[in-house]
Amino acid sequence: MKNEGNEAAGTRVPIRLSMDDPQPMYRQIESQLRDFILSGQLPPGTKLPSVRALAKDLACSVITTRRAYQDLEGAGFIRTRQGMGTVVAELAQDTLSRHRREPVEEAFGHAVQAGRRAGFSEGELRAVFEETLEKSRQEQGVKP
Amino acid sequence: MTEQPVISLKDVRKSYGSFELGPVDLEVEPGYVVAVVGPNGSGKSTLFRMLMNLARPDEGEVSLFGGTYPEDEVEIKQRVGYVPERSVGHDEMGATALGEFVSRWYPTWEQETYEDLVSRLRVEPGKRFGKLSGGIQRRLAFALAAATGAELLLLDEPTAGVDPFARREMLGDISEFMQTGDRTVVFATHVMEEVRRIADYVAFLVDGDFLGFYEKDALLERWRALWTDREPDGDAPGVVEIEAGHPTRVISDDPEVTEQALSRDGIRVVRSGPLDLEEVLSHLMRRRNESGVS
Repeated sequence: MKNEGNEAAGTRVPIRLSMDDPQPMYRQIESQLRDFILSGQLPPGTKLPSVRALAKDLACSVITTRRAYQDLEGAGFIRTRQGMGTVVAELAQDTLSRHRREPVEEAFGHAVQAGRRAGFSEGELRAVFEETLEKSRQEQGVKP
Repeated sequence: MTEQPVISLKDVRKSYGSFELGPVDLEVEPGYVVAVVGPNGSGKSTLFRMLMNLARPDEGEVSLFGGTYPEDEVEIKQRVGYVPERSVGHDEMGATALGEFVSRWYPTWEQETYEDLVSRLRVEPGKRFGKLSGGIQRRLAFALAAATGAELLLLDEPTAGVDPFARREMLGDISEFMQTGDRTVVFATHVMEEVRRIADYVAFLVDGDFLGFYEKDALLERWRALWTDREPDGDAPGVVEIEAGHPTRVISDDPEVTEQALSRDGIRVVRSGPLDLEEVLSHLMRRRNESGVS
């Protein structure tokens, strides 16, 4: 029983659920797993934990983890084979670039909204963007 | 895909003197962990005893794996591992003898699982059950049930008197038991932390009244506290309770609708957060009292 369990557990994934987040839990799992897959941190072929093992890790129900896996499978990010468990799927290049762009666009969208709420002009927003980029460059030692 | 329920209770009632349990209507599908939660004396053990045919319902129908008592008793019980509230008839036997005794009833018995679970208790294999501490007795009773290889475990407060470290281990063992995906566990507890950690569904039982069967995460997602910049006047939809203050705390069981209604009234939601299961249960209990059910 012990060994089977560990094998079924697959890779441990550092997902965190926040109950303060009004997003339903299955969405949080979905978006975090998708981010790990798109960023290459979970490469194609990586074995994911079983729905039960993940539910145990996150103290959520297996209904939630199953729903997240079903949605990710529907979107082509993961696949499940009878008796083989769930693995990260091979993604087509265009899907990959489209999905990589989406969260970045979304984050910028939020930033622009926050700026507008605070009464920033477009020029000021651009200045903040440039400064943020510069700061990140210095922190990570990246050359422009 | 509708699977045959593992457990089906239809309009089940049982009374002892002035205590009345039910009506209970409940269907449990295979593959889930169900927590039966309620204060002491709510009828949890009576419910388990009816599932094991140790008590007969006064009314209604109890069915397991589509079979009923007494016709299908043997077939049903070979598929069920049971930890009663108090283990009866174990006192004179040690762990090894108990394993041999119980294994005879179960064609699916897993000796390796049993030995693994028992080895972690660090008890002398021959030491009599009656001489073990309460917590160890519970863990041994759990080991006997988990090793049956049965499809369904009925655990009546399996962690009562078990220390927090071992309790955690037992919750882990329940998850292990569930790994195959088609097994089912129903356990009684009044420790909400256990519910939070491993349950898929929660059934609330208070004073014999069945307060419903809920998907745990849906319950946690549905009940929320909204902090608002001023007190809403009148009844916004979904609002269950208002605690005046700055900010005001509004409890809602339909937060999306409540938030929309509040914003129409020009009330801003400053923050929103989850309720814990204790608070949800207390609201469900209050609702029951207000609706005049007794």
